[in-house]
Amino acid sequence: MIIVKDVKRVYQTGETEVHALRGVSLNIEQGEFMSIAGPSGSGKTTLLNLIGCIDQMDGGDISIKNEQVSKMKKKEKTNFRRENLGFIFQTYNLIPVLTAYENVAFVLSLLNISEKEVKERTMAILKEVGLEGMENRRPGKLSGGQQQRVAIARALIKNPEIVLADEPTANLDSDTGKEILELMKKMNEKHNTTFIFSTHDKMVMDYANRLVILHDGQIQSDEKR
Amino acid sequence: MKFLISLAFKNLTRYKRRTLITAGAIAFGLMMYIFVDSLLLGIEIESVRNLKWFETASARILNDDYWENRFQRPLDINIPNPDKIINKLEDNGITATKRIEFSGDLILNSADFGEDGNMSVVVTAIDPKRDFDVFEFGTTLQKGRFLEKNEDAAIIGSWFAEDIGAELGYWITIVTRGNGGFYEAMDLEIVGIVNCPNPNVNRTLIMMPIDVADEYLAMEGASTEISIKLPESADVEEEVIHIQNLLNGDGLTVMSWKSMAADYLAIAEAKRGGTGMILFLIFLIAAVGISNTMLMAIFERIRELGMMRSLGMSDKKIRIAFMLEAAGIGLIGSIMGVFLGIIVNFFVVKYGINYGDMYRDMDIGYRVQAIIRGAWNFKTMGIAFFAGIFMSTLVAFFPTKRALKMDIPSCLRHQ
Repeated sequence: MIIVKDVKRVYQTGETEVHALRGVSLNIEQGEFMSIAGPSGSGKTTLLNLIGCIDQMDGGDISIKNEQVSKMKKKEKTNFRRENLGFIFQTYNLIPVLTAYENVAFVLSLLNISEKEVKERTMAILKEVGLEGMENRRPGKLSGGQQQRVAIARALIKNPEIVLADEPTANLDSDTGKEILELMKKMNEKHNTTFIFSTHDKMVMDYANRLVILHDGQIQSDEKR
Repeated sequence: MKFLISLAFKNLTRYKRRTLITAGAIAFGLMMYIFVDSLLLGIEIESVRNLKWFETASARILNDDYWENRFQRPLDINIPNPDKIINKLEDNGITATKRIEFSGDLILNSADFGEDGNMSVVVTAIDPKRDFDVFEFGTTLQKGRFLEKNEDAAIIGSWFAEDIGAELGYWITIVTRGNGGFYEAMDLEIVGIVNCPNPNVNRTLIMMPIDVADEYLAMEGASTEISIKLPESADVEEEVIHIQNLLNGDGLTVMSWKSMAADYLAIAEAKRGGTGMILFLIFLIAAVGISNTMLMAIFERIRELGMMRSLGMSDKKIRIAFMLEAAGIGLIGSIMGVFLGIIVNFFVVKYGINYGDMYRDMDIGYRVQAIIRGAWNFKTMGIAFFAGIFMSTLVAFFPTKRALKMDIPSCLRHQ
């Protein structure tokens, strides 16, 4: 489903070149619950960004669902992300002026979907992530775990085949982090959605059914469980 | 689009204080724009009115050769039979009066003025019976009374009276040369002091009865001009042609007030250009304020912007969202600005601003004295309203464009 072939990414920091990825290759299958782990600066977020089509690679190739995303133009990448990818961020990145309902429905407003369907799907996904009755709360009135649930609902509402999560539990306490992981796992199993998340938390790695460890921009190990 | 409008509106309420401060800056700019425009329009309207009412009348009949020699005020270049022409004009429904304008030396006697002195003056001899039909001195009397026929009397402007220390009952002597070049001296008693709203007139005015001047100056019924009053709605240039045709040549020229006041109109036009610059600067200051606010608003939300882009929101829609937000600030500012402008304008139109002390000893070209009133200009209010919205929207474009140039990972990392 996702083919990452010899991907390289170099950042220029002043006069210095930083090799974030030094030829990473991976094959990711539909429905995997995969964790990319490694110490800070190992290249996990960069790899996630490249798979998520929000960054530009300096070498190699990425294909998703047989589409060569690395060759896509900016506008094509935007359309591809809108239709195929879901994102979960470490800091939730919810829009503070919108309610939980509006934050989730926002994603559907980018697609041509009737208001009735938007309402039905949004209410259903909020119920599924355990936020029934909290639709009208703004992010400021929700706990960290609840905000991340809104973010998960936002990522899943358009039924994407791939969800990318950058350290989704890093800002949560361990109990809430566990709840979020279980929720993500449940969604992965129920919808057969591919989850790829970066982490350096041991507990999170334990949840993954595939663990890729990066070190200095290269794959150190790739273990399927 | 509905979502974008809703998002823009909600973001406006996100930072209420900032929104209000920026909208307040726009409102202040627009209010100043409306205020300054109102005042300038008021000055122009009043200037033109005072010019016609107290200086030039709507039009004037002169001897063909008079205008080019007008600064010498020659008595021999005159209209020999003004009464006949006035009757002819009256038969055609046109109101007119004759005047003699001459220059001379004003002699001030120590008996009245405390010390002897003299100065150059211009005297206007008027027909006390008809002059008020053309000019509007009727409401300007400050002290004493108006002129009557056949009396050695004068009326002077109140500023002129202050300058020379004149009071009612004082005698002044005018020494001049009559028609033919002979010297003549005339003693006139000041019987009235008028406060003319036209500062150029109020600073220099000396009026005397025309029949007395006719005798002293040997004019034999001639006058140097015939002043004409036309209805406000009349097309002055067309009327001038009409009157010129009525005169059948006769060596006389009809001049409209616009031709006579060409210098003033040219200066007023130049001033309008200058004030346009001031208005532009007011707008520019407001634009910088909005631009700064939008810049802060956008850069505070860079991560949010990165999230929106990650989720597949197009740059175009993001730009529209921010521009709608700016348009919202502009709308609030415009409503407040026009509302404040109307309130300020109400007072400026009704009560005016008293610049009397400033204009007393200064000639700024405009024919307005003391209280300057504004004028309602709904076109300006409409322009201000839409310009406020347009300007806000426009200045949001650039910081949004700049923010959208950042790559998405940088946006998401932004602190």
